[in-house]
Amino acid sequence: MSWARFVLANLWRNPLRSALTAGAVALAVALVSLLLTMPAGMDLLLDRLASNTRISVHHKAGVVYTMPAAFTRKIRQVDGVAAAVAMSWYGGAYEEAGRVTFPNFAVEAEHVGAVYPDYRIDPVELDDFLRYRDGAIVGRGTLRKYGWKIGDRVTLKSTIYPADLEVRIVGEIPNDAAPMLWLRRDYLDEALKARGWAGLGNANVVWVRVADPNRVNAVMRDIDDLSRNSEAETASETEKSFFGNFFGSLDGLVRIILLITSLVALCIVFIAANTTSMSVRERAGEIAVLRALGFSRAAIFRTLVAEALLLAGGAGLLGVAMAWGLTGTLRALAGWNETLGPLGNFTVTPAVVAQGVALSVAVGLLAGVAPALGVVRRPVAEALREVF
Amino acid sequence: MASEADVSEPLIVIRHVSRRYVRGADDVRALEDVSLTIGRARFVALMGPSGSGKSTLLNLLSGIDRPSSGEVIVAGMRLGELDEDALAAWRARHVGLIFQFFNLMPVLSARDNVALPLLLTHLDRRERQRRAMVALRVVGLSHRADHFPRTLSGGEQQRVAIARAIVTDPDLIVADEPTGDLDARNAEEILGLLRQLTNHFGKTIVMVTHDPRALRFVDVAYHLDKGVLLEGEAASRADDAIRRAAAGHSTTEPHA
Repeated sequence: MSWARFVLANLWRNPLRSALTAGAVALAVALVSLLLTMPAGMDLLLDRLASNTRISVHHKAGVVYTMPAAFTRKIRQVDGVAAAVAMSWYGGAYEEAGRVTFPNFAVEAEHVGAVYPDYRIDPVELDDFLRYRDGAIVGRGTLRKYGWKIGDRVTLKSTIYPADLEVRIVGEIPNDAAPMLWLRRDYLDEALKARGWAGLGNANVVWVRVADPNRVNAVMRDIDDLSRNSEAETASETEKSFFGNFFGSLDGLVRIILLITSLVALCIVFIAANTTSMSVRERAGEIAVLRALGFSRAAIFRTLVAEALLLAGGAGLLGVAMAWGLTGTLRALAGWNETLGPLGNFTVTPAVVAQGVALSVAVGLLAGVAPALGVVRRPVAEALREVF
Repeated sequence: MASEADVSEPLIVIRHVSRRYVRGADDVRALEDVSLTIGRARFVALMGPSGSGKSTLLNLLSGIDRPSSGEVIVAGMRLGELDEDALAAWRARHVGLIFQFFNLMPVLSARDNVALPLLLTHLDRRERQRRAMVALRVVGLSHRADHFPRTLSGGEQQRVAIARAIVTDPDLIVADEPTGDLDARNAEEILGLLRQLTNHFGKTIVMVTHDPRALRFVDVAYHLDKGVLLEGEAASRADDAIRRAAAGHSTTEPHA
């Protein structure tokens, strides 16, 4: 018999208890590992969503504040700007799906294609968007979600403007990361004027494509200088930064989730420590005998801690494997299910594996050290007297 | 302090040993000024009523406990000079322990239980296994080597415990009521086996027992009462009383 076999034999003493403890630790490590994939997953998602040469120009106070749409013309004249398109949040809800809202914007049909060349919209469909005043271009995910197809007519009820619009779908954005709908600004403008409104004179955002990636910062500065000291001062940022700020608003939520997960992990430490303490208490007689036979305090301590470490470490590997399996399955599913698309970005990297295993080792140490210290500190004669 | 054991010297020397401890509000005097010398290759019984200090004396001479005053020397080693870990290492090398309730590890087979003290040596796995099997053969249980304690009878478990006690070839074997949990037949078999360890292997055995049958197997019995070692008339009277009680018991020949 070897020392390792002795440790394993002790772990096997109560298989159900060992399995339940390992299961609890594995679940906690899996949960923490999944959460640890989030920051890297968000970055990856951001890389897929955003372009470094596209910038967002919006009111300095935020995108809910509007700025004059005419400002777009000035932006197009800035040196280095390749194209610019004004966008207004239409807030259209699709009644047939139960009045659900989704991202839909009124855009300038003649400019949008030039700002989004990376979306690879079919030029024929862009021409149709220009040809039909009631035309709309819709993201692939949204088309699938509502079962729409090119040629369909869809009525949207705006939650912002007193103008419900029937649009004709003329094209598709073949990009899973762009689930929006674009309708034409002039179509909305006419509808508003027909209802006695002044028309669509403002925009929430002007999206700009910069010709030279090296001049993005200079272009942003020049654009913001245009509106300096006006009533609608602008703040420009890259698309990546724009979406980063959007995701950044989720940071608080992620932190709360991490806090809760940490508390769950702490509970698991207590559970594992309690299990180890129970095991040590049950074996008080055996441990006293081992010490009487000549096993040193260090040898007993090593044995008990090794048992806890082995249980927690094994459970940690299982937990990381569970997280790896789940994210792998999500990636595979995301390949054919668009709604799972963003979830396919979460990956259990070697760093996540290392952190998950480190957590389980910490759980094992915390759970094993205290009861082991308690049992080896007692004089052997006293321990023998108490159990015999 | 003698650094090496001399076969002409006694194995155990106990000089003016007292052991007191506090239990709750009471100051318990477990042993009072006990002096005792035990030679090598002797089978010795410590007898007396419950609470007389037998187990305390056994713990002191096996290095499990320390005296409040006095000196314990075993195999030339003054145990009072060793700290807790050094005492543990010394026990592992020089003392074999046998308990009343066998105290085998339930998760290990008979062979692995016997090999357990050898984990504290530098022997390789194969040698540990070989020595464990030799020890099991000595106690007549090599055919049960792969059995776990729960599948062994009480007598068999105590034989495994004896094999565990002798596997490191210790100078001293201490046994705390080794027949206390056994029926009459098994008790006599175990006492006979311990006797053989002294006769054939020259082991010194100190055994705490209430069992009057033990007198027919041991070389000498010391009697304790209220922490005091009985001597002279008192010791003779205690011995006679136990021998009379033992007269009707045994069927086997001692000193076989």
